[in-house]
Amino acid sequence: MTTTSAAVPIAAEPRPTGRWRAFRERESVTGLLFVSPFIVGFILFSAIPMLASLVLSLTDFDPREPDEIHFIGLTNYQQMLSDPVLHESLGVTLRFALLVVPLTLAAALGVAMLVNSRLLAGRHVFRTLFYMPMQIPLVASTIVWIGVLHATTGWLNYALEGVGLPGPNWLQSTFWVGPALGLMGLWGIGNMMLIFLAGLQSVPTELYDAAKVDGAGPWASFRHVTLPMISPVLFYNLVIALIAAFQYFTQAYVVSNGRGDPDRATLFFNLNLYREAFGFFHMGYASALAWLLFVIVLGLTVVLFKTAGSWVFAGGER
Amino acid sequence: MNDTQRLGQRPGMRVPILLAAVALIGAACGGGGTAAPSATATPSPTEAASATPCTPVEIEWFVGLGTGENEEQIPQEEAVVEAFNDSQDCIDLLLTVVDNTEAADTLATRIAADDAPDIIGPIGIRALQSFGDQLLDLGPYIESSGIDLSQIEPGLVEAYNVNGKQIGIPMAVYPSFIYYNKSLFAEAGVAEPPHEVGEQYEGEDWTWAAVRELALKLTVDTNGNDATSADFDPANIDVYGLDAQFTEHDARAWATIFGGSGSAVADDGTTAQWPDNWREGLQFMYDGIWTDHIIPDETAVDALAAGNTFQSGRIAMDVVHQWYTCCVYPGEGDPAVTDWDIAVLPVGPDGTITSKLHADTIGILDSTEFPDQAFEALSFLSQSPELVTTWGAMPAIESQRDAFFAALDERFAPLDIDWNVSTLMLAYPDNPSHEAYMPNFQEADSANKDLGSKIWNTPDLDLDAAIDAHIELLQEIFDSAN
Repeated sequence: MTTTSAAVPIAAEPRPTGRWRAFRERESVTGLLFVSPFIVGFILFSAIPMLASLVLSLTDFDPREPDEIHFIGLTNYQQMLSDPVLHESLGVTLRFALLVVPLTLAAALGVAMLVNSRLLAGRHVFRTLFYMPMQIPLVASTIVWIGVLHATTGWLNYALEGVGLPGPNWLQSTFWVGPALGLMGLWGIGNMMLIFLAGLQSVPTELYDAAKVDGAGPWASFRHVTLPMISPVLFYNLVIALIAAFQYFTQAYVVSNGRGDPDRATLFFNLNLYREAFGFFHMGYASALAWLLFVIVLGLTVVLFKTAGSWVFAGGER
Repeated sequence: MNDTQRLGQRPGMRVPILLAAVALIGAACGGGGTAAPSATATPSPTEAASATPCTPVEIEWFVGLGTGENEEQIPQEEAVVEAFNDSQDCIDLLLTVVDNTEAADTLATRIAADDAPDIIGPIGIRALQSFGDQLLDLGPYIESSGIDLSQIEPGLVEAYNVNGKQIGIPMAVYPSFIYYNKSLFAEAGVAEPPHEVGEQYEGEDWTWAAVRELALKLTVDTNGNDATSADFDPANIDVYGLDAQFTEHDARAWATIFGGSGSAVADDGTTAQWPDNWREGLQFMYDGIWTDHIIPDETAVDALAAGNTFQSGRIAMDVVHQWYTCCVYPGEGDPAVTDWDIAVLPVGPDGTITSKLHADTIGILDSTEFPDQAFEALSFLSQSPELVTTWGAMPAIESQRDAFFAALDERFAPLDIDWNVSTLMLAYPDNPSHEAYMPNFQEADSANKDLGSKIWNTPDLDLDAAIDAHIELLQEIFDSAN
């Protein structure tokens, strides 16, 4: 770093005169003005609500009776320890994350490699087609999927029956509803695919040429060139997918009538939080749940960052 | 730092000043929206009502907690609001319609934000359990205005008296009965169900056991075998004999339909229970779905006209409320339900007929700033028969019922529906209501729906064990209310 700084011509650093200081200050004000919409928005719509939810988590706030609010200390947090529904919802969310995160990462990477291949005719069209589902509102696409996955009238079971396989009761079976939601999740890998695609296109072709010279086949090239080179992108997608899995809500709400049916198999953490807040009007407890989710996601993200040093290739440094 | 430096030049002060400036500009641009009228600028309710000319006050009517939010109902509601606004100058009645699935959340949020509407409704008994405490006691207003409630059944008026407060004037009642598809009866070659209370069916008492026997003959698989046949294929059912559509997951409602009136709360108000007749009711439901296959499970219901099962033309008998006239379209469906009628409900395991009753009212939130004006608007709304007609409701006011049924006859002509059945069933309401109070209502209600979902979706359920576990769960929920 010192060497680099020394290489910069000294003439480029103006002398700190009073006039220069005034210019810099004006520049700071202009900069602040430009970013002020974000700052104001962040304060009003993120920071203050977060602070409010932290305060509410220490109360028994019921929105129907705002005047009856009481400070109850850490009672809401204590209640979490003995709340079986919360524990169930955590289990549902964790199982779903374990299923869906690797599945969507693998699918998105596979599709990205496919549409990056020179052997694929019309790959620009395919890129668009794979991304297109992202443009469809989530609720609308979920309703379509409910039709596709219907046990007796759904296309998927028709197709399975066509090849002699019995179609499961995807959405009313406590066992199959998780995989059904995972399948639905594959519909929305467009963003992740695009990020992987950008990562794949940034891998220098010389590395593949060198690997080929060294006798590497397609698998070895993928394992020893592609994966390390796109590992920062993989890491980014992993973090985003994990956060998304813990924030999973809309599809579960639509599929399960907002109740976690069948038999709480789709009662994800956020759905439970929503029920507590807007179904049972336990806004204080729901706020505490929101903070628990924040801590869990933050913790997992920190763990991922701690492990990143051992497997994410960052510009020649590990 | 220079002591003479102006405030705005201090780096640390620039951001707060900038924010303050933005806030001031926002305020100057009228960002306050519809601010509450100040004490000095707005006349008191009494002044507003008596002064001529007067400064109009805004009264907001919030629709969505019950019926009234369907696309086809809104124009009629708007017309009534317009008629009210044209009839006087002192009140500007505003209509807000919210989707039913979001209405309770929206209302709770608005109450919390001190932005509550003035009038809410139509609101059913279930929704009342969520917002009953927030409603104004209309008793003094009814008394001073001289509104005559004698044309309404006393039991209905009483249903809206909560903890000594008259929180609503009954507007609409919806008894339940059996809608039946006459074409399917003709195809099966069986006689149509009774239209009179006490009438026998094929020489037998009209009980749920008789309904079951009939439903078995009406349930047909895709090969044309009915459910009494040894060749009947339950995996491929074409027509189901019986349903109680739109009851969804509510175990209390299912138990009441097939078992009669009951309560999940003992007389002490705190002990959880599940009466024996409700156990029998749920057993009937469970056997109907999983043993006899005369009632569709949730998967089948989803495939039958997306839940509007009677409209699918593949349900022979359907226990639904009067409001279901909203959603029968004789010209639509495959096959279309071109010929249907209604029949009385049978005698239940408790030895009586029970017609599960829904009812709607309109109430005033006690947070309103203008209770006099809100009551004036409410009085107008509650005496507008076109509203109950558009809601598909039988008017609570007896003298309005003939016009209501005449309108239905016109709508369903040339069918000659026996509406006398509906009037007869009004005499057998569930008491206590299947939507009645339970401690910690929302949670207890949700638990009941979990039980209903389990019965609807689990073919090998130990029902008695499930009900026992449910009572324990309800007790925990009730206890947590204290």
